[in-house]
Amino acid sequence: MKRLLHALIFAAAFGAGTAQAVDVKAPAAPKGEQVWFVEDHTLPMIAMTAALPAGSAYDPAAKPGLAAFAASLLDEGAGKLNSTQYQTALSNRAIRLSVTPDRDWLIVSLVTLTDNAKDAFQLLGLALSRPRFDAEAINRVRAQTLSGLAQEDEDPATVAAKGFYRAFFHDHPYGHPIDGTPQSVAAIGAGDLKGFAASHWVRDNVKIAVAGDVDEKTLAGLLDAAFGALPARPAPQLPQVGRLGQPGVQVIAMPVPQPTAVFGLPGLLRSDPDFIPGYVANHILGGGGFSSRLMGEVREKRGLTYDVDTSLDAYRKAGVVVGQVATRADGMRQTIDVIRQTFADYAANGPTDKELADAKTYLTGSFPLAFGSNVGITGQLNAFQRVGLPVDYVQKRNALIDAVTADDVKRVAARLFNPARLTIVVGGSLEAAKAQAARPAKLGTLKPPAGGAASKTAPHS
Amino acid sequence: MGGSVEFSKATVAAALIALAWSVPVHAQDTKVFQFALQNGMQVVVVPDHRAPIVTQMLWYRVGSVDDPPGLSGMAHFFEHMMFRGTASVPNDQFAQTVARNGGEENAFTSHDYTCFYEQIAKDRLKLMMQLDADRMVNLDLSDPNVNTERAVVLEERRMRTDNDPQALMHEQMEAALHLSHPYGRPVIGWPEEIRHIGRLEARDFYLHHYAPNNAILVVAGDVTAEEVRADAEATYEKVPARALVPRAEFAQPPRLGETRLAVARPDVKVPVFNRLYRVVSYTGAKPGEAEALEVLAQLMGGDATSIFYKELVVKRRLASDAGASYEGYARDAGEFGVYAVPRPGVRLDVLEQAVDAIIKSYTVAPPSAADLERAKTQLVADATYQRDSQYSFASAYGQALVIGLTADDVEDWPQRIRAVTGESVQQAAIHDLLKREAVTGILTPAPAQRS
Repeated sequence: MKRLLHALIFAAAFGAGTAQAVDVKAPAAPKGEQVWFVEDHTLPMIAMTAALPAGSAYDPAAKPGLAAFAASLLDEGAGKLNSTQYQTALSNRAIRLSVTPDRDWLIVSLVTLTDNAKDAFQLLGLALSRPRFDAEAINRVRAQTLSGLAQEDEDPATVAAKGFYRAFFHDHPYGHPIDGTPQSVAAIGAGDLKGFAASHWVRDNVKIAVAGDVDEKTLAGLLDAAFGALPARPAPQLPQVGRLGQPGVQVIAMPVPQPTAVFGLPGLLRSDPDFIPGYVANHILGGGGFSSRLMGEVREKRGLTYDVDTSLDAYRKAGVVVGQVATRADGMRQTIDVIRQTFADYAANGPTDKELADAKTYLTGSFPLAFGSNVGITGQLNAFQRVGLPVDYVQKRNALIDAVTADDVKRVAARLFNPARLTIVVGGSLEAAKAQAARPAKLGTLKPPAGGAASKTAPHS
Repeated sequence: MGGSVEFSKATVAAALIALAWSVPVHAQDTKVFQFALQNGMQVVVVPDHRAPIVTQMLWYRVGSVDDPPGLSGMAHFFEHMMFRGTASVPNDQFAQTVARNGGEENAFTSHDYTCFYEQIAKDRLKLMMQLDADRMVNLDLSDPNVNTERAVVLEERRMRTDNDPQALMHEQMEAALHLSHPYGRPVIGWPEEIRHIGRLEARDFYLHHYAPNNAILVVAGDVTAEEVRADAEATYEKVPARALVPRAEFAQPPRLGETRLAVARPDVKVPVFNRLYRVVSYTGAKPGEAEALEVLAQLMGGDATSIFYKELVVKRRLASDAGASYEGYARDAGEFGVYAVPRPGVRLDVLEQAVDAIIKSYTVAPPSAADLERAKTQLVADATYQRDSQYSFASAYGQALVIGLTADDVEDWPQRIRAVTGESVQQAAIHDLLKREAVTGILTPAPAQRS
């Protein structure tokens, strides 16, 4: 058995065609929205993920948190239904409607049984086109948001992340917390919310992905019920970004046993020709879980952390490489040194042939896993839609990754991973590390993060 | 293969029983297949032909209840050790091999079980089986591995528990709720006891608990039962059964009164009211009792139409959030939990009185027909939505079988939920939500101490 095992372990290779199992259609939508659709009648359910360009980057400078506040009220009453009546209408039919604001987009996820599809899409349409913004709901959601913001201050990872985006994006609206601040949330009123919805919940640039038990003709009617009543006005523009980053280490003091650092540097727009080589390059550095350089250096060789990772995030107006690490109270200074050194080595020397080959077989071979469920399909397709990719990208994507060369990755690694440009924000303390930074490191580690459901992994690029 | 090669009598009997129920069962329009290997390993196949991928889950009947005295966290620690390599797949080659083949993998540990899983292209299923069969008996437990993994687990504990006051509070409430039963020990372990885990203890744990006759294999995905059987026979069936140490039967003495835990800490920013009730689980309940608790949790605090939300959050404005949940998948006691976060300025004792008044209301009258119907509709729909994810659907079978339930129990669940009556919900509130079987936790901010 031993020999067979070895033969199989080292014979792994995927063709570029592996991902072609899914047939994505792009039917003409009733009013011109972009719709991607996978028809599958196995289960009596339909999933949809839709995005409107109404994320927190559209917040007015004086009112951070407005887009998220408005989004939180989307399922809090519409038309003749007050909040409880609207929620009861959803619940009676087991319709799952969730609303998530990110920096660029308002992301709406809808899951329904086929039998209730008509009601589900109509209820969403009512919420998008005739939201009520009742005083009771506004005050209740405000109290919930304020409570949530206060609880976030307990968590060093969230505190560090907020500090990082603020430092990295300076005054651009990408820099403020998506949910705003206690001061800004307290000052947002009904007029602000109604105004934002009227100007930003529009049909222009809406991206819709649907999968499940519905045919194209029925779907057209459902989508018209959900999105047809949105105003046809053009979506507002986002401001251009200016200077990115604030190299150095900032500490936000917190009394925690395990400080957390969020670190990053300028990345790539999705339209950049280097994006796919950059995606592969980041996978090797910090995106690939146990196979990544950072995991090897920080965790396996030195035992400084349970988890360290980086991702290459493409917003509409800026790219950022952002990473996170947590370590014991006396380990942060050494951890930061190791991360900087790992960036420097990689930027100077690029990947090994084995690292590149392994990254490519993982990234291409794992791509079909994203298409295993209706909910997973719509999440992955909508992620592609949001960054402006064409529908045939699903079929072409693995070939693009296979075409990446060692020279490509080396060039992009040198372009991206200059440690002198790292902005680092720590929630916790550096001081305990000062006295013990010279202590020799002995510990190594190996084990993937426990407990997470694989279905929750981030979408592929 | 190292380790014991003896078949115990119990193992052979288990295998025969398992073979006897090797019949297909129906889950709506999906056929689920079950069979057993000669070494006693149970196999469940859940076909899902929507995409050319598979999810393999290996559920072992070992969890933190099996931690040796003074070594809490052993089962979870051992879950980590299962990734540390064997003679033929050394060091980090397990994870590297799965990744190189385009797979995702992970594992988790609970009080009753430990589960390892991979999701991967269907033509790699046999390779995954070879890897998991190999580490079932050939693990390298040399000293450096044990020492280094212990440090990682302590780092994991800091991240999940020590950094989070709500997690610390929950850990203490569990410890108080279960008296001497090991459900009161944290799965990840107490830090002092994690530090006592050594190579010999790990070796014993491995020999006593990791064996094909202590595992349930669930494969969901684009495969047939015949394919899974052939691959499992070529891999797992080559691993001999081992004599297992019987699991301890722990007492669950009646509690004599409510326990109250008041914790004030400077790292808390928002006060929280929590209560845990020790209640029956699906394995110990009378017919319909656990299902009634499931419906009660949904009615009380399952969503924004629940009574907690409508009364405490919307109408009376005492709380910014409130909810309830029932955890019934356990070999011993289940848990029913309620929580509420007060709005600023609302006293926690006022909030608690309002919570208690609502709980009491379910003991004096059954829920309205409309509320009952809505709660049941939500729960039954969950069973359909769960089938959308191979991981969730496979987990439903694994989690049920590993605690002693059957595949029929999984498939009948929607019908049993539909059969819940208002009277049975009222009876569950009367007989299961007993104050003496509860721990109430009050977590509040405290001013920072001067250093």
